[in-house]
Amino acid sequence: MIRFSHVNKFYGSYQALVDVNATVNKGEVVVVCGPSGSGKSTLIRTVNRLEPIQSGEVLFDGQNVHAELKSADLNRLRARIGFVFQNFNLFPHLSVLENIMLSPVRVNAVKRGDASQTAMRLLDRVGLAHKAKAYPAQLSGGQQQRVAIARALAMEPPVMLFDEPTSSLDPEMVGEVLAVIRSLAADGMTMMCVTHEMNFARDVADCVWFMDAGKILEIGAPADFFSNPQHPRAQRFLSDLHVR
Amino acid sequence: MLSNMITIIEDNWLLLLIGQYPNGPLGGIVSTLILSVLGIVLAFPLSVLIALARLSHWKVLNWPATALVYIVRGVPLLMLILLVYFLVPLLIGDSVPGFVTMLCTLVIYEGAFLSEIVRGGIIALPAGQMDAARALGHSHVGAMRYVILPQALYNMMPSILSQFVSTIKETTLGYVINVPELTFAASQLNNRLLTKPFEIFAILAIVYFIVCWSLSELANQLEQRIARQRLGEDPPEAGPSQPGTARIQGAI
Repeated sequence: MIRFSHVNKFYGSYQALVDVNATVNKGEVVVVCGPSGSGKSTLIRTVNRLEPIQSGEVLFDGQNVHAELKSADLNRLRARIGFVFQNFNLFPHLSVLENIMLSPVRVNAVKRGDASQTAMRLLDRVGLAHKAKAYPAQLSGGQQQRVAIARALAMEPPVMLFDEPTSSLDPEMVGEVLAVIRSLAADGMTMMCVTHEMNFARDVADCVWFMDAGKILEIGAPADFFSNPQHPRAQRFLSDLHVR
Repeated sequence: MLSNMITIIEDNWLLLLIGQYPNGPLGGIVSTLILSVLGIVLAFPLSVLIALARLSHWKVLNWPATALVYIVRGVPLLMLILLVYFLVPLLIGDSVPGFVTMLCTLVIYEGAFLSEIVRGGIIALPAGQMDAARALGHSHVGAMRYVILPQALYNMMPSILSQFVSTIKETTLGYVINVPELTFAASQLNNRLLTKPFEIFAILAIVYFIVCWSLSELANQLEQRIARQRLGEDPPEAGPSQPGTARIQGAI
């Protein structure tokens, strides 16, 4: 479903991604972990071209995301990739319901009535139907992130990307957001998730990618990765986590 | 002296209010306000376009917009007025009423200044807003229209109001090309009475002060309100929510 081949990305002279090769299969949950600054977020942002790359290919559903695309084609592509940000990025001038309805109505030309029904169903799914008329500033971080997930789901994407979805949340709100992501995994959604929540990775992931300094150093099933990491850098990373 | 001023106002309030209308062109403070309101209302859409052009990566848009802003910012308004006053008749081969000349000048001048305010408002929004809109599949134009501009322009309201206050003060320069407005009316009055220039121009200053000060106060209040809202204490004004219930939820 998503394939990175020989992806290289530079910020000036700094190389943020170094020859990344990996594949996310349909229905698979991939967790990307690694120390801060290792390129995890950069990698996930190349999938919908929020970050440009300098060489290599990112294929989504067989389509080269970084090819010369007409902007309309790129927009259509992006509409099919659900993306959840670390900082939620809800639209503060719109109510929760309008946040979710905006893109189906304006991008996919869904009728307002249908969009509103879908939005309410999704809000119900993330447990926030009673907040439909509230504004983002009136919600807790965990609630905002759940709305952001509902907003991404409203476009009915075949794949969801999560860029550290719980990193800017208070500890007691992490659980409610992870529960929503778990339920998506249980439904068979294809997902790629950058996270520091190792318990979540162990439970939910089909595959763990470990990154450092812009490279994927290790790819493995969570059982293998957490009990028996191969790369010395991954061993050190995991033991540091356990010490804490 | 105070009694002199009161007498002048009592005898001439209509001239200061509407100029020589209906026997002559509409003037006085009504004309000043119409000129200012029209100026800012017409300048506003222009300023949004200039701001978007300035933020564009396309040189064909970016370059002329930037040049316009720099030129207008670097030239005194009075020069701009005279330029339009002498240039427009040359271009269209006919003389133009002073009011129209002044209005055109104000639209160009305020358009350039407002565009910097609008541009600042757009830049000040977190980059995540544009990212989120693009990630959801909105085009650049769509993201601007539904996500960025509504927020930026709302946040810009106090600055736009301040610019309106400046505009009111700038209309006084229309005096040099005989635009019938408040300063022009006061000077007509002065030419007629001849002996009380200080009183007349003191009245003029007071009138301008009252109008501009109240609007500035309004801008301040708006600013505080928006600041409160950013902290999540007040629900935003826009949107079909019920403000009453939202306010209670927000307060808790």
